[in-house]
Amino acid sequence: MKFRCEECQETMEFVSNDTDRASGVMAIQYSCPNCGRRISMVTNPGETQMVSSLGVTIGHETLAEGGAGPMKQIRRSLEGEASWTEDRGSPDPVWTEAAEKRLAAAPGFVQGMVRRLYTDWAKRNGFEEVSPAVMSKARDALGMTEM
Amino acid sequence: MQNLPAVDVLGQVVAQRTAVARRLASVRRVVAIAGGKGGVGKSLLTANLAAALATDAAGVGVLDADIHGPSAALMLGARGQRPKLGPQGARPAIGVCDVRVMSMDLLLNDDDSAVRWRHYGGLADDSFVWRGTLEANVLREFLADTEWGELEYLLIDMPPGADRFDTLLRLLPELSGAAMVTTPSEASVLVVRRAVAAAQHSGARILGLVENMAGGSGPGRGRDLADDLGIPFLASVPFDPDLARNTEAGRPGVLVDPGAPGARAILELADRLRGILA
Repeated sequence: MKFRCEECQETMEFVSNDTDRASGVMAIQYSCPNCGRRISMVTNPGETQMVSSLGVTIGHETLAEGGAGPMKQIRRSLEGEASWTEDRGSPDPVWTEAAEKRLAAAPGFVQGMVRRLYTDWAKRNGFEEVSPAVMSKARDALGMTEM
Repeated sequence: MQNLPAVDVLGQVVAQRTAVARRLASVRRVVAIAGGKGGVGKSLLTANLAAALATDAAGVGVLDADIHGPSAALMLGARGQRPKLGPQGARPAIGVCDVRVMSMDLLLNDDDSAVRWRHYGGLADDSFVWRGTLEANVLREFLADTEWGELEYLLIDMPPGADRFDTLLRLLPELSGAAMVTTPSEASVLVVRRAVAAAQHSGARILGLVENMAGGSGPGRGRDLADDLGIPFLASVPFDPDLARNTEAGRPGVLVDPGAPGARAILELADRLRGILA
């Protein structure tokens, strides 16, 4: 959808999007790049919801607002706090030799999964390495019965 | 999508489709496990099939498309992991046999949390108007925004409802095919007939029919049904409480007791699918 300034015959440009979730009203402002005249397109709650359900963005959003970035529809639509962890690029904890040996005792088909569980838990809890002691703490915390 | 004009809605919708194709370019085969009716064991079959295929495949993933009743993470031992969100996508959970799992179950805080969507301006009572669109987009994001990596197979555990298939195909025209699941029960047979018809109408490739819980809810009739529907008969999986119990404990039965009749049938099913999709 576009709007045209009839005076200048120019396509108006997007300025801002003010959305009020409680009322469901979205007010999208445009201005003419030539004369500066401003207009607002105002939607009703149904129209606002439909735009939101389409997973499209009106205006510019940031990851922190649940806008830009992957899974934005889920992040901005799911009620409550979704269980994401943000990958800030910090390195994974290093596995000690003893921990590797203990992991190797598990059946092969679960080793990848178990490695991920312990690595994630150690990282979340500030450990720089995964040792048998850390594995035991993680096992207790995660309620795991084996390994 | 960041470079598009801020109000180019159509452009963004097109870009969403492109993003699915781009992400799945590294996935060789995408197979839906569907059936129309709930309770026929689609998730259990999906989990066991994933584990069976993972024994010799270069990467297997499972997308749990059942947004309101997710169970794939449970059956693949992947519960308790949180998908990691980075700029390029969300890293999936790792289940048994290194199967990569994405499911709504991984995003909910606890067992008592239901999926509820935020809405605008008090439109909760009218959610039937917009929920379908929103949930189709949730499925699209699971496909496009998960860092699946290189996969030989991506299995999609479909929710009940023949209509969901059409949604999936619109998002994913590259679908390799669908395995349709039924039980011997009259109700399941009736529903799967309609689901096959709906899938064919959508243009999906039907890989064949799987009869699950054979002997449990009536005499086996899958082969006759498949003949009647004009689709291949893939497998008859006998009713096996141990297989179900182990799988629901996060240890797919094909790994725990591969010699049991149910597990053997699923391993043969995996072989058949490998052959069909080769």
